[in-house]
Parts: sequence; structure tokens; C-alpha cells
Amino acid sequence: MTTTLAGGRAARRQTMRRIRPRRSPAVPLLLAVWAGAAAVLWLWWHDTPSIADDTGRILGAGRITGLLAGYLMALVVLQMARVPALERRVGSDRVARWHAMSGRYTLCLVVAHVFLVMWGYARQAGRSLGDIVQQTADSVDQLPDMGKAAVGTGLFVVIGLTSAGPVRRRLPYDTWYHVHLLTYAAVFLTFWHQITTGNDFAVEPAAKTFWYGLYGAVTALVLWYRILTPVRLNLRHRMYVEAVIEETPGIVSVLIGGRKLHRMGAEAGQFFRWRFLAPGMRFSSHPYSLSAAPRPGMLRITVKAIGDHSARLRELAPGTKVWAEGPYGALTAQRRSRGKVLLVAGGVGITPMRALFETLPGAAGDITLLYRANTTQDLALWDELAAIAEERGARLMYAVNSPEGERPDISAENLRRKIPDVDRHDVFMCGPPGFAQSVYEALREAGVPARRIHHESFEM
Amino acid sequence: MRKSHPVRRVVLATAATVSGVVLLLALKPASGPAGASAAGAAPQATAAGQESPQGGAQGAAPAGSGTVTGDAVRTQYGAVQVRLTVSGGKITKAEAVQAPKGGLSDQKTQLAVPRLNQEAVAAGTADIDAVSGATYTSEGYRKSLQSALDKIKPASSGTSGAAGSAQARTVTGKAAQTPYGPVRVRITVAGGRITKAEAVQAPKGGLSDQKTQLAVPRLNQEAVAAGTADIDAVSGATYTSEGYRKSLQSALDQAGG
Repeated sequence: MTTTLAGGRAARRQTMRRIRPRRSPAVPLLLAVWAGAAAVLWLWWHDTPSIADDTGRILGAGRITGLLAGYLMALVVLQMARVPALERRVGSDRVARWHAMSGRYTLCLVVAHVFLVMWGYARQAGRSLGDIVQQTADSVDQLPDMGKAAVGTGLFVVIGLTSAGPVRRRLPYDTWYHVHLLTYAAVFLTFWHQITTGNDFAVEPAAKTFWYGLYGAVTALVLWYRILTPVRLNLRHRMYVEAVIEETPGIVSVLIGGRKLHRMGAEAGQFFRWRFLAPGMRFSSHPYSLSAAPRPGMLRITVKAIGDHSARLRELAPGTKVWAEGPYGALTAQRRSRGKVLLVAGGVGITPMRALFETLPGAAGDITLLYRANTTQDLALWDELAAIAEERGARLMYAVNSPEGERPDISAENLRRKIPDVDRHDVFMCGPPGFAQSVYEALREAGVPARRIHHESFEM
Repeated sequence: MRKSHPVRRVVLATAATVSGVVLLLALKPASGPAGASAAGAAPQATAAGQESPQGGAQGAAPAGSGTVTGDAVRTQYGAVQVRLTVSGGKITKAEAVQAPKGGLSDQKTQLAVPRLNQEAVAAGTADIDAVSGATYTSEGYRKSLQSALDKIKPASSGTSGAAGSAQARTVTGKAAQTPYGPVRVRITVAGGRITKAEAVQAPKGGLSDQKTQLAVPRLNQEAVAAGTADIDAVSGATYTSEGYRKSLQSALDQAGG
């Protein structure tokens, strides 16, 4: 097994040809975002000839924050439009973190904008800062589209509050999600006052066109990728539950049948957002990774019964209709460079790793899977993994707690001992946050460059 | 997986935003009192120039001609005060001697006041359209304009009647609404004949600009030639033509009466 054709140069060249690394478009996208922000600031600069006094300064600051908030708001929505370039190339997890970060920032800008502008108006009307509430009420009452904007801003604040860490942790996912959907209404409501009362849009018709273009494009993308694309996907593939299999205590696999499933364009390592049309599950969709490469008539997900939703999966009746959106996720073969690969899985994080273990191009000995679980009984899919390892000449290792319950030591030293050239591997990693963090640190210490550690984490 | 530092990030974002905004504001040329009034300077300068001949005759309008200053009307952003120059019972000039100043208001004033002046001269009444984006200023302007008009009314009602049919005078018709904007016609009548017709208001913006450019001169010609409102519509500008006809009719009604 060790000495065979596998080491041959020809074979190696052949596998190398199948590896096509693609760069994440994150950097150009971020540059475009910054350029847009600069353009928005320039707009203000261009339309403001001079500033007379402190009132002018306050209003100037209010307008800058307002313009930036309006610009970022469109991008915050865009980040959740499920645009393939973002979901599959940048990575759903990273985009979700951008979304959370820019969402918080935008909300702060909105609040600052409201406060500054109302303060400025109060000063212009000869009122003091204490009259700002009265001033706000007057402006909402008298200026065009400000009623709508006030309602929209209120919604933003509610959405922001439900997304703040401590509140979000206490809220059921579905509640949070449905409140979050109100963002669309809030964006719509606040849009109009930007056009009708925004000084820059009154003075500069080109700016108005740009603004309509920005919001129009985002609306089109949302409609296309969040509504039309999933509808088409599900009409075409008509998925249903074929069987539910208990892999280990608490971990189940759901086999999903449908038409031409290999034509969905899903790759190993990706996930779909699944919605099972069974009573009580219809209204929430959850992301689960494929635990095997897609086959023409079948997809498989493997899920650990931790949450409310995942526990119910066990009771799914065969034949239940399934609504899926995807494929999403960038933790695929395109991330790797042309070296050996180490896959690290923690617990149910094995699912995407299992799919990659089967499909990543590589000669014998190129692919190693390290599987961490509490006990050997918890090593879900182990038989399959062993079979794949056998067939491909890949290495399969596991780390479980000792009989006394002691945790295995995944340190830089141990990694180097087991895999001497670990620093020349690409590492794909999936597991609980604490585990992923400690492995990441061990890998870095063992000399693996950060850019070659690929992982997906949905922690905000 | 790099360690995230939420607190550090918040501090950095706040600091960057605040300093960015402060920097932008600081780099903008600050206009002192002199500069600040630059926006409203034109009307103010002329106002000063005309102050002397007018003297203290602010309230009592001279019959037929002179200047009248309306009441100063407070708006949320400052006072608005309109002064009219009246000649032969007609407003020949409208200007704002006071208008909101400072910050956003400078621009709004710059944007709105010239348009409001034009409208006031064209309409000859306080029935003028608000400039969008400057609602408060427009409202204040209207009120001050009305108060100025109220002051000249007693005098001018006499003059306009006594103007005599031999003398040339100008009558402005009512604004006729069309789907693309109002049309308003002013005619000069002398010796019972229309000597001149012009549109003081016509649809504007986009395609309307071209249509107006195309139709209005022809309609003006036709009106002078026909001497009645029975003029042909300009093809391709039916609505404008229709509005023109209506406004022309109302001007003729006023002139003929």
C-alpha cells in the first residue's frame, strides 16, 4: 500500500491538474465598497459650499452620517441577498459577519443622523437641545415622507435590539428571524425621505439617479436570488425526504430524493438552507451541510440533534416535501492551493469534511482526516470514512477522550509528530467554535500559514 | 479564525467615523457673517440701494408704483420678508430682504428664493408654487408676499381700472394644470388688441423641456395673430397647447372685463 504507483510523478501531475484554486473576491469587493463611500462623501463635499457656524456644522455632520447610513443600508441588505458571488466565493459565514458588523454600524449612523439633524434644526428654529423631542415631532409632522421615515427608524431600532447578543440568545431563532425580515419594510419606509428631503438629491439630479440605481439594483438582486432562484430550484428538483437514518446516538442522516439532483451545482463542503414541509417545521429554514457528494437521485445531510429543529428531524416521515435554498458556502475544493490537505472535524462538523474527504482531488497520501469526538461511539459515519480511506489511500485519524474523560491533546507538537509536514498542508476545519479556535492556534504554532487554514464559522 | 476584538473594533470604528466627519467639517471653508449672507446677498444689496428713494414709506404704498415690503414671517429656519417693486399696478420685481441663513438653509435659500421671486412676478399674486425641498421658506415667502400685496391692493385696484384701454397693460391668466405641469400665459394688451403673448409658466423637466421649447413660441405667435383663445394646438404638445388655451382665455377674460 505504501510503495505503489501512487507516488509516481505522472499520477501526481494528473491530480494537480484537477486542483483549480480560486481567489476569494473579498478584496476587490471591499475596495468597491470603500470607493462608493468615498463617492458619497464627495457628494456632500461637492454640494456644500461653506459652513457658517456651529449649527451648520451639526447639520453637516447629520447629513454626512445620513448619506453614509443610506449608502450602507443598501449594502447591508445586499449582503443578505444570497448573491452567489458572496455566498459561494467569499463564504456565507464571512458575509454574515460583514452583515452583522455593517448592520450595527449603520444603525449607529442612523441614530446619529436623526439626533444631529434634529439638533441642528432645533438650533435653527431658536430652540435649545432640550426641545429636540418637540423638534423631531414637528419635523415628522411637517416635512414630506418623514412619517414613514420615523416608523422605519423605529423598526430599525427594534431589529437592532433583537439582534444584540444577550437578547438574541434568549429569543427563539424563528422570532428573531421574522423580526429581522422587517428590515425590508424599514428600508423601504426610510428610503423616501432621503429623496424628498435630502438636500444633495434635490440639488444634484445625478445623485438622485445614482441613489435610485443603487437601491433598484439591490431590490432586483434580492428578488432574483432570494425569491426567484429558490422557486426555480425547487420546481425543477422537487425534493422530498427519502429516509432518516440514525448514525450514532443523537446524530441522524436525512436522505433527500428528487429529480436530477446532481444538476444543482452543489459541491462537497457546501450547505443548503432546508425547510421541511412538516407540521411545526414549515416556517423555519436551517442550514445543514451535505455529508456526501451529491448524486443524481440523492443528497444527504447529517445533523446532530441539538436544537429544537434538529431534534425533530428524527421524526420526519419519508415522503415529506422539502424546500431547499442553495447551494451556499465557500469551504470547497476551490479554497485549497496545490499541496496536501488536512481535514479537521470536531463532532458533527464531520459532515462537510466527510464530503470533502471523498471528493478532494489528491493522490494517495495527500489527504488526511483528523476526527475529534467524545467517545468512539460518537464517531458518526466512521465506517464510511474507513472505506473511503481504504479506497483512496488517504489517512484517517481520530482523537477521543480517554476512558477517564480526559481530553485528547491536539497541540502543535502532537500535530507535528503525527503529520511531520503539517506546515505544508492546506487545512480545512469544521467544528464547534472552542474546538476550532484551539486547533487554529495549534496549527499556527505548528507553522501553517493563516491563509491556508480554511474554515467556516457562523459565530457572529 | 483570527481573534476578534469586539471592543477594539467598536472603539476604532467610532474613532474613525468621528474623526472623519470632524475632518470633513473642518476642511470646509467656514463662512463668517459676511460669507454667510453671500447667498442672500443679491437681494439684500439691491434692497439697500433702493432704501433711500423709498424712504420710510414702508407701509403706505404709493399709488401705482414704488416698493412695498411685506411683513417678516418667521419660519422654523429663520425669517422671510419679501419686498415688491410695483409699477403701474404691476409687480415688476420681487425680492427677499430676509431669508433663512446658515448651514443647510443657505443652500435652500439659494435654491428657492430666485425661483420664488420669478414666480411672484409672473403670478402677480401670492398663489405661487412651493419650491420642493424648501417648503418652510416657500410658505414663509408666500405669507410675506401676501402681506405685501395686501398693502398695495387699495392703491392698485384703482390704478388697474384707470389704466385705460389705450394704454398697454399686462394681464396674466390663471395657471392651467396639465399632466406635465401648469401653463400660465401673460398677454400685453394695447388698444384692445393683444400685442404680446408669453408663457410665464410651462411644463419643465425631461421631455417637457423640448415640447415647451417647441410649442410655446408658436402658441405665442398664434395668440397674437388670432387675438382670441381660438388657436390651433401644436401637434406633439397637445396638453401644453390645451393648457395654454385655457390660461389665455382667462387672461382675455380679465383684460376684456
